[in-house]
This record gives sequence, structure tokens and C-alpha cells, in this order.
Amino acid sequence: MSTIKYKKLPLTGDQAVAYAMRQIDPDVVAAYPITPQTEIVMYFSNYVANGEVQTEMIPVESEHSAMSACVGAAAAGARVMTATSANGLALMWEIVYIAASLRLPIVMPVVNRALSGPINIHCDHSDTMGARDSGWIQLYCENGQEAYENTILAVRIAEDSRILLPVMVCQDGFITSHAVEGVQLFDDKLVKDFIGEYKPAYSLLDVERPVTYGPLDLQDYYFEHKRQESEAMKNALKIIPDILKEFERLFGSRHDLVESYRVDDADIIVVALSSTAGTVRGIVDELRQNGVKAGLLRPRFFRPFPKENIVNALKNSKAIAVLDRSESFSGEGGPLYTEIKSSMYDSGTRPFIVNYIYGLGGRDIFPEDIKKVFSDLLGDIAKNKKIKSSINYLGSRE
Amino acid sequence: MANIKELAKLPERLSGGHRLCAGCGASIAVRQVLMGTKDYVVVGSATGCLEVATTIYPYTAWNAPFIHNAFENVAATISGVESAYRALKKKGKITKEIKFVAFGGDGGTYDIGLQSLSGALERGHKFVYVCYNNEAYMNCLSTSTMIMTENGLKKITEVKPGERVYAFDQKTYQLVLKECTGVFDNGVKDVYELSTLHHSIKATSNHPFLVLKRIGKGRYSFIWKKLEDVKIGDQVVTLKGLNGFSKAAKFEFKKVEKEDFKVNRLNDISIPEVSSPDLMKFIGLYLGDGWIREQRGEVGFALPEGKAGREELVKIHAKIFGGKINTTDNNYVYIHSVNLANFIKSIGVGIGAKNKVIPGWAFILPQEQKEALLEGLMLSDGYKHGNSWRYVSASEDLLKSLRLFLQTMGKRVGKIHWQIKPKGVICGKRKLLKDSKYGYICFSNRKPWNIKKHHSQYKIQNFLIDNEYFELEKVRSIKLIGKEPTLDLRVEGEHNFIADGIVVHNTGIQRSGATPRGASTTTAPEGKASYGKPQLRKDLTSIVVAHRIPYVAQASVSHWNDLVTKAEKAFNANGPAFLNILSMCHRGWRFPQEKTIEIAKLAVETGYWPLIEVENGVWRFTYKPKERKPLEEFLKAQGRFKHLFTEENKHIIDELQREIDENWTRLENLCNSTCKVA
Repeated sequence: MSTIKYKKLPLTGDQAVAYAMRQIDPDVVAAYPITPQTEIVMYFSNYVANGEVQTEMIPVESEHSAMSACVGAAAAGARVMTATSANGLALMWEIVYIAASLRLPIVMPVVNRALSGPINIHCDHSDTMGARDSGWIQLYCENGQEAYENTILAVRIAEDSRILLPVMVCQDGFITSHAVEGVQLFDDKLVKDFIGEYKPAYSLLDVERPVTYGPLDLQDYYFEHKRQESEAMKNALKIIPDILKEFERLFGSRHDLVESYRVDDADIIVVALSSTAGTVRGIVDELRQNGVKAGLLRPRFFRPFPKENIVNALKNSKAIAVLDRSESFSGEGGPLYTEIKSSMYDSGTRPFIVNYIYGLGGRDIFPEDIKKVFSDLLGDIAKNKKIKSSINYLGSRE
Repeated sequence: MANIKELAKLPERLSGGHRLCAGCGASIAVRQVLMGTKDYVVVGSATGCLEVATTIYPYTAWNAPFIHNAFENVAATISGVESAYRALKKKGKITKEIKFVAFGGDGGTYDIGLQSLSGALERGHKFVYVCYNNEAYMNCLSTSTMIMTENGLKKITEVKPGERVYAFDQKTYQLVLKECTGVFDNGVKDVYELSTLHHSIKATSNHPFLVLKRIGKGRYSFIWKKLEDVKIGDQVVTLKGLNGFSKAAKFEFKKVEKEDFKVNRLNDISIPEVSSPDLMKFIGLYLGDGWIREQRGEVGFALPEGKAGREELVKIHAKIFGGKINTTDNNYVYIHSVNLANFIKSIGVGIGAKNKVIPGWAFILPQEQKEALLEGLMLSDGYKHGNSWRYVSASEDLLKSLRLFLQTMGKRVGKIHWQIKPKGVICGKRKLLKDSKYGYICFSNRKPWNIKKHHSQYKIQNFLIDNEYFELEKVRSIKLIGKEPTLDLRVEGEHNFIADGIVVHNTGIQRSGATPRGASTTTAPEGKASYGKPQLRKDLTSIVVAHRIPYVAQASVSHWNDLVTKAEKAFNANGPAFLNILSMCHRGWRFPQEKTIEIAKLAVETGYWPLIEVENGVWRFTYKPKERKPLEEFLKAQGRFKHLFTEENKHIIDELQREIDENWTRLENLCNSTCKVA
């Protein structure tokens, strides 16, 4: 393979995603602005206005209509993208489910922001965690570089004929979306080669072979159609690693379903999604220098849930702290914690697992907080072999 | 426009075997609409009967690409499909000509679907939206409102349907007389008081007022604004005077004859049949200083010797009435006449000190007679104060009616000022035994504007400066008063009337599920309000026309030729098109399944569902029945209106008929006013 041409530009997370969208050049984009996603739509609109893309932009009047138009356009066989955050995602909620059940390969960057109320425009994962049962594939990005790469990746994953599920590419609101970093950008042509041309199997515009999208299912068929959706998600877990390998081959960038950082011999592991993992990584290195066997596990895909990878990474440790940036209000912790804990039930080993809910509404999380988590794991648990409390709140004024 | 033989040969895009009821209007409408184009069509449908009954997995009745998404978003969904089409066509991936149509029921279009429809229309996607619909709403005035009618000023509660009231002609800005076609009791509601310099009125927040709107440099138009939207400083149209519309009052009074009554004597007296300046002066004097003692048949005046009024009174009495007048007392003048007493009582001026009022019929008198009444009044308790006059009285009703009266004479009038003279104070020659409350108002003549000399300047200050009857006044305040019983009128033609001197809109053609007085206590079902009234809940056709799309039309399945022609125009429009098709549901409307087309025909023939189209803003009827059938025929064919055919509810049918008539007139006006815009 010849030299891979990289261009490095200082971009915010939003700009990086918009740049990826430019390279993808979707047929249709229907989007409605909401902070902190607005810049994605703004920058992309500039590309449209300057003729750098051929995209048909639909300036819809609400997020509900945005996803509705995306469903219509995708059913018509077009490559479709949109973007949103928080309450925008909440507003389009019913259509989000419909998009997945119609098996439409829509790609949607979501800039994570807290769901109202109270109204708060800053980062937490309550929005996309709330949509975890919708049937969409979910990717969580640590930084702008990942957001850029995952957006391109998402198109391939969604359109794979064995998958055909819509994909959410999540990045932290303001923390990633509005922070500038040096992003290495791929060559336009390489991106186009990777995503290829979209060849839909069934299209509304294929008028000589008319199809009906969204029929009425009574008790006799709904269940089977939902089973098909379940199978699609299970298949996705098997197929995605192949696509990731191809991505690495073409772009030289390594991606896995989960990122395991120094977990092989770790005694204590912290599990975190998105940008917080960056902070954790730094603390892990510090602790390692002091002889503590710490590790970081960062799931990149939340849906489909990469159970095997997670269990393999965690099963040999002694104590695990799962960091959740959202509350399930079940009284038993956040979504990441409950799913991981339940996966560990079949692992054969029984490390201690505790939950730390943090960062709601953009509450900052500092290295000191992470240090505290690790010291809790070391102190109370690994040594004393007992858990003081499973569900903790990190950084809130108790 | 193909003929029916050719249409029948077209391939059916909605095939048979679907599960819609036999006799369902929806499927007929769909099939007729799809005959409007020979091109491929992609069909979208909102959640509803159509979608549910035609796509039961694993079957589909659609021989065309079809998408159902959710309830409220078929317009947004089809926007997406249409955009994908344009995107792919641009890239050369699609070459065929494809048309797009979205079907939505009244729910999926009116309420929950309105946003997505509006967005799609605004963006100008090239698609046809087809809908089925219903419903209404209402607004009102406080029951103390005074209305200017043909027979004088009346309380709104006393106005009867059939009576003529004064209205503002919105084309010529002149005063016209229009028939009041209905009075509606709207119950107790929150009422606000809107006040200008000279007028004030109490109305609900949704009552429309005629407000001046500047639409360009030196260009104005009048728009109806709901009270809740009126701002302080907005100029509302108010009544200046009734010059030219005034006439002398006629009295119908039957004198008592000697044989009718047990009297000692019956004084001879002649009672006038028509009002005159002298009579009005007499009445003015009476209003200020007179009273009646019915038992004695006595009319008295508190006019002491030396007061100018006394002489005037004697003179007039001799001139008009003739007969004896007792001036022996120094302080009082008496006229002993049963007939005069009864006459005065009959003309509605009041009999005691505290209940005098300027009668309603006095408001429409010629200016000369009004001036005479004013003169008489001033001779009693009025006095000049500098350049203006002041009138003092303890009677609140008299002062209020006087204020309105003066306004109709074109005088400048101030507010009523109240004062209390405490007990013990010497007043005149006597000491007050208790606190005495009295009020006064000031008024003066207006300085005439030299309109001819400075016309354009005056026009800038007051757009209606050269109007004989109306003028504009700035709104000074709008205050919440509280809950009051309210009423409203319906006026044919101009649909406005003059209440408390201000031009207000009548109850719209739109009326809510809250039905007129009496109906709410009887068997009139509210239930699914969409079956209750024949009017549009929202005038969806107008809302859609307001989006300035190329084509909007109303159609009915009974007139297939008209419908298919409209569908063709819709599919060929260069932008969004909207078809509003009445859809009969034999289950909900309760009629035999085989009568669907018959009912559809009746809907058109009675004017319930006018067949109109709006092409680029120009309204026209595509079909007008030679003579509209009475609405009753449409109503009695359906079980859902059965309850209207009882004794108590019959009047509702008349009201519904009136609303249909008005809507028809409204449409004709729209056709007339837009036909030049082409």
C-alpha cells in the first residue's frame, strides 16, 4: 500500500464530524439545530452552500420531522444522515424506533447532552442511554479524532447488507464537540472507496417492484419481525470486527469493540465511556508507576453490547468500578453498571463491582475524583473484601 | 381530462381485497385521487383507517410503493422521499418521472400533523397532500355592552335576531346597516376592559377588534385583532356619529280616554306622535329636574322661579302639549295629566330621581334634535365652565348614557368624575342628612379640522379623519375585570357591529362544540366533537392557502369528474398541492353503507361542502348548485344528527343553516376579491 496521505487540522469535535460528513457526501440530510450539535449542521450547510457536496438538505421544522424525513429518504434508497442531542433525540424518539425496525441504515452523530429537566445544555449520557433499547447501534467516542473516524465507519457498518441497522455516533457535548484538537484527516478518495456506493435492496423509488414500508402487524407477525431485529443486532457483533479490520488496513487506524488499556494483569479496573476515559488513562499510568496494578476498560460499542470482550477484560481482576454518566433511576445504578454486572454473572469469577455515577449535567470530573475511585477500590474492597456501598455518586454535593 | 371509459381502464394502484368497510368514503377518494396522474406514484399514509386496513402483514393492497411511518409525520416522511428522489435524480441514478402523494386523516393533518404539514408546505416540496376533516370555536362580549342598532342604542341582551345593527363596511369604510342573524349566550367568562380616550368596552380575550395596520409608507389597511393581541397604542375603529342615518323617533302611545279610567277629571292634552326639537328640549329638562308621581298622574319639575329653564318649560308645554300647567309654586312646576305621565313613562326616560337615562332611541335622532335635548338638560343641572360644559347628576345611568350620547354627537367628552359631599354640609338651602354621591362630566365641541387645507397631514395623524361616521382611537389600557356573563351577535355581510362605540367582530362562522343556549342542557351530544358541527374546526383550507402554495382545493367523491380534475391539477402543480376531501364514514355518521355517494352529493348540494379551488391565491367555485338545498336534507340522512330533530334542538338546525349561508357568502367574497389577482 502506498503512502497514506494525512492532513492534520485543528478542529472541534463538531467540525470533525462535519468534515467526515463532507467526505461521505450523503444524498439527503434532514436536520434541526440544538446545542451542542448546532455546529455540525452549520458547518455542513456551508459545504452544501459552497457546492462541496451534492447533498439535498431539508431544513425541517423539528427533530421529529428530521427523523421522519430521514426515514422517508432512506426508504427511498438514499444515503441519509442527521444529527441531534438530548431533547432533540427525545422528540424524535418514536421515529428512532421506527427507523431501526424498518432496517434503514441512517447514520446519526449524537452530541451527548443532559436531558431536561432541569434544562441543562452540558454533557451527560442520559440522552443516548435512554435510546439504548431502540435497536440502533451505538458508538461512544473519546475524542474528536474518534468522532471523525467513527462517523465514516458508521456508514459502512449501517449499510452492510447483513446488518442494515441505523447507527448513533456519540461524542461528549462541549467537552469533545467544542474543544479543539489536532485531527488527522483521511484522503477524500480513500473515504469514498471505503464507504462505497449504497445499493439498497428495497427502495420506494424502485417503482417497478413496489414495496410497502411500515405495514400493520397484528399479534401473528410482530414478534417474528422483532426477532429478526434481534438477530440483526447479534449478527452485527460478529460482523463489525471484520469491518474494523478493513478500516485499519485502509487507514492505518486500529479500532476494537472495546479498548483495553493495561487490563491484562490489572487488579483494579475502572470502566468508563467517552472523554472521561482519557482522564482515567492518565491516572492508570500514574498508579502503575507507583506499582499499583490498575487498568482501564473503555467500551467503544455499547450496542451491540460486546459482552465477551468486556468479560475477558474484567474477569481476572479483583475489583471493578463502573463509571456511569447517566442515571437509570432504578435505584440500582446506571445502565453501563447494570449491563456489565449482569454480564459478569456468567464469567465464572466474582470480582467486586461497584458503580460511580458522575458528571450529570456537565459536572466536571477531575483526576482527584478518579484517584479516589481507584483508592476506594484498593482500600475498601480489594483489601477489606467488602463493599461499603455499591452505588456511589462521584462529584455531587451529598 | 380523460373520460370515464379511459379512467376505468387505468391500473388500480389500490387493489381490492383491503379491509376498509363497504361504503367507506376514504378508499373511493384515494382511488379517484390516484387517477389524477399516469406517472408512477409513491404513496405515504399517516396512521389511520387507510393505512391499517390496507397493509395488514403479510398482505398489502398497494400496487405502488407505499410507506407508513407514524401518526403526525406523513408530510415530513414524504418530504424525505421527495428529497431523496431529487438527490438521486441529480446524480443520474434515477431517470423516471415519479409523483408523490401523502394521505392523512383529519387527526393526522389538523392537530398532531399540522406542524409537519406546515413545514413541508413551507419548504415547497413537490407533492400532493390529501386530507379529510371537521370542527369550530367562539368569542364574546360582556352582557352590559351597548349595541348601536337601527332602533337606537340597546343592551346586547336586548338585541334580537332579525334586527338590523350598524356595521363598518370594510371596503368603503362607511356606516352600513346589517341584519343580526343570531345572539349567543356564551356563559360566564373572564372579561377584559379595553379603554380608549372616549370609549371603553368589556370583552373576552379572544374577541376581535378592528385595528389599523400600516402596510407601507402612507398605506394602511384594517385587520381584525383579538383582544389578547391588541397592544396599548394600537388604533381601533370607533363610531364618530350617525349623521345621515338619523331619523326622528316615532311614538306609539295610546291616550287614556274619559271612559277608560276612574278619574275625577281628565285634562285635555295632545301627545305628539313624532319627536321634534322642542319635545327633546322638554325631555332634556325632564331628565334633569323632572319626576313623575304615577298615583296622582302628576309630572313635576324642580325649576324655581327665575331659573331660565322654567320659562322654557312653560313655553314648550304650551306649544306641544297644550293644556294647563301649574306654576303657582315658587320652586316647582306641576302638570296634572295622567296621559302625559304615562307618555313620559312609556318613552323610557325613567320616572324617579335616580333612575333617569337617555333612552336608546334618542341616539339615532337628527343632530338638531339631539342638540335640543342637550340644551334642555343643560338648563337643568348643567353649567358652563370656561370653554366647556359640565353636567352634574347623582344618577349613574344618566351620566353613562349621556357620555355615549355626547360621543355620538361628535363632542369631546371626558370621563365621569365622582365626588361625595359629606353629611352635614350645607347644600343649596338645606343641610345634608347623609353622604351624597354625585358625578359630573365635562364636554365641549370639537374644533373643526381644516381638512381640505392640510389633508395629508391630518390623514397621517388619523387615517379616518375625513370619514363621516368613524374615527380611530388609540387603545389606552386593557385591564382584566373578572368573570362576567357574556354574549355575542352574528351579523350578516360585514360580520361586525358597533358595541360601546367600538367596531367589533361578530361571532365567527366558526363555532365551538360549546353550543348555543339551551342545547348544552339537552341531549345534544358533545362526544366526538368532530361529528357535532358542520363547520371547520380550523379553516384548514385557509391555513394552507396562507402558505402560498400553487394549488389548494376542496372536493367530494360524488363529483368524480371535479375530483379527478383537481387531482390532475394537484399532481401537475409546480410545488406542494393540497386536496381537502370530505370522507364519509358510514359507521361514525350512521347511514346505510350503500348511501355513501348519496350523502356526498347532499353535502355538496346543501353547501355544507363547497367545491372550491385556490390556484396561486385566486379562489373560485368549481361547482355551484343552481339552488342550494336546505341543510336539513343532509342532516336528516345521518344518525349522528338525529338529536337535532327534536322540539328543543330545532333551532340549532337553523343556526347551522345560517352558518352554511355565511360561509358561502364568505367564499363568494373571497372569489370576488381575489379574481383580479392573477
